[in-house]
Amino acid sequence: MAICTGCSLLCEDIEAAEKDGALTHVKNLCRKGHGHFQAAFTERTVPMIDGEQVDLDRAITKAAEILKSAKSPLLYGWSNSTLEAQAVGIELAEKLGATIDDTSSSCQGILMERILSGKLPTCTLDDVRNYADTSIFWGSDPSSSHPRHLSRFSYYPRGEKRQKSYEEERTCIAVDVRKSATANLCPNYYFQVAPSGDAQFMEAILAVLEGKIPRVGDKKKMIGLGSILKKTEWGVIFAGLGMVYSLQEKMDLFEKLLARLNEITTFKVVPMVGHYNMRGFNELLLEKTGFINRVSFKDGKPAHGPEHSVVAAAKTCDAALIIGSDPFSALPFGTARALAKVPLIAIDPRRSLTTDGAKVVIPSALSGLEAGGTGVRMDGVKIKFEPIMKSDLPTDEQILTRIMEAI
Amino acid sequence: MATEVEVTVVTMRDIFQDEAGRKSRFSDEYRDQSAQIILDKQDLAKLGAKDGQKLRVLVKNDVGSVVVAAKTSEDNPHPGLAFMYNSPWSNQLVSDAVSESSIPGFKSIKAIVSAAEEKVTQISEIQARIKG
Repeated sequence: MAICTGCSLLCEDIEAAEKDGALTHVKNLCRKGHGHFQAAFTERTVPMIDGEQVDLDRAITKAAEILKSAKSPLLYGWSNSTLEAQAVGIELAEKLGATIDDTSSSCQGILMERILSGKLPTCTLDDVRNYADTSIFWGSDPSSSHPRHLSRFSYYPRGEKRQKSYEEERTCIAVDVRKSATANLCPNYYFQVAPSGDAQFMEAILAVLEGKIPRVGDKKKMIGLGSILKKTEWGVIFAGLGMVYSLQEKMDLFEKLLARLNEITTFKVVPMVGHYNMRGFNELLLEKTGFINRVSFKDGKPAHGPEHSVVAAAKTCDAALIIGSDPFSALPFGTARALAKVPLIAIDPRRSLTTDGAKVVIPSALSGLEAGGTGVRMDGVKIKFEPIMKSDLPTDEQILTRIMEAI
Repeated sequence: MATEVEVTVVTMRDIFQDEAGRKSRFSDEYRDQSAQIILDKQDLAKLGAKDGQKLRVLVKNDVGSVVVAAKTSEDNPHPGLAFMYNSPWSNQLVSDAVSESSIPGFKSIKAIVSAAEEKVTQISEIQARIKG
C-alpha cells in the first residue's frame, strides 16, 4: 500500500503498481490525490541559477553561499516536507540565525497553537469514526478540500459504537458563509453565517445552550441546534479556515464554546489542516523552541512574534529559502512582491510561480512517491511512508543536509 | 463610466481547481478554473449581464486588479458578497497589511467590480507584476 501526501488525511490505502520505476496502476485516490500523483509527471524542476540550467552540486553550493552571506535570511514553507527534513531545516535556521516560518502562519496556526497547548480538546480521526454521533463542519468543506474525510472518518463509515452510521447514528452539520458541497449533504442542518459572523454565531449557540433567545439566525433553527448539541453523546467540530480567518483575535470564544459543550457532553476539535505535514512542523518546532511557527534565531535564543511571520519577514529579510511551497501563488501580492526582491532559493519537485522567480532552483524528490519519511496527519497521528517510484533526485532532507554542510 | 458594484470577496477551495493546479499552475485549465468570480444574480444584473450571457469583469481595489470571468451564484441571494477560488488571481487583491493575528484577509477582500472588455488576466501577467 502507498500513502497519498496530497493532503493531511495521508490516506494509507492507496494501491499503486509500479513497473520499471513508473506507475502503471493506481487505486483509491480521490480527485485531489489523483492530481497529486499526476504531478510527478508534469512540470518537474531542474537545477537552475538565474534561469540557466546547472548541475545539482552548483545549485546547492550557490544556495549555501547566498544563505551564508545573508544577514537576515528567512526559511519558509515546510508543510510539504517530511519530519526528517523539517528537523534539518530547524537546525539550519539555528545555525544561520535565521527566521523560520511555515504555511500555518497564514493558515491554521492560531488554532493549532491552542490544540497543541491543550487549550482545546482534540481527538484522532479514528476516534471520530468509532464514536462520533455529531460532526460539525465549521468553515470547512471536506468535499472540496479533503475529499475522503467523510467516507473514511466523519460521516459515512461504520465505527465501533456507530454501526448504523450516517443512516441513523451520525448527524452532519455545516456552518458556513455559503452552501458548500459539504453543506449540500446536510441541507436541513446547514447554518449560514454572515462573513466574519462566526463569533456572533458562537455567542448565539452559547445563548441557546443557556435557554436564552439567540441574537442571530433563525430562532427556531438555532434552538433546534441547541437540542442536537445537548443530545450529542460524542461530538466533533472540524474547524476550517472559514472559522479561523473569521475569528482571528476572538479565538478565546471558541475555547469558551468548547468548555461549555464539554460541561454538557463530549466535544472535540480537529483542525482541517491542508498540507500533509503542516502539523508535523508545528509539533517539531514547538518541541525544539516552545513555539509552533514564526521563530527567529537571530540572537541565538528562539524569539517568537508576529514580526517573524512570513508576511512581516518577507519585507525585512535579505535572502529566503522556500521549500515545498509556492508563496508567489498563495500569499498576498505584497508579500510575493517583497520576496521577489531578495535572492530566493526554491527547493521544489515542481515548477511554480515561486520557482520561476527564484535565483536558485533545487529539484527534490516528491515525498510519498519518490521519497520516504514521516508525516503527521491533521489529528496528530504519525504516518510513515516508503517511496513507491524510483528517483535519482535527492530528498528535501538530503538537500538541506548538504546546504548545511556547505555553510 | 461602467457601473461599479462594491463587494466583499470570500475565497474558497474547489476540488477541480485544486486538481488542475497540482498538474500545472501554467495551464489554460488552471487559469479557467481559477480566474472566476461568483456573483449574486442581482449584482450581475447591475453589471449589465443578460440571462445566460458570459461576462468578464474587472475586480479591483487598492492592492491590485484582475480581469476574471463572472459566474452566477446558485446560492440564496447574497448581494454585495462574492466568491473567488483561492489562487494567484484572488491573491492579487489581498492586502499584506495584517491585523494583530498577522493573518492576511484572504476571506474578506473589499473590491469593486465592473464589466470588462479585456481578456482574462494571464498567469504571465501576474508573474510580471510580482517581479515588478
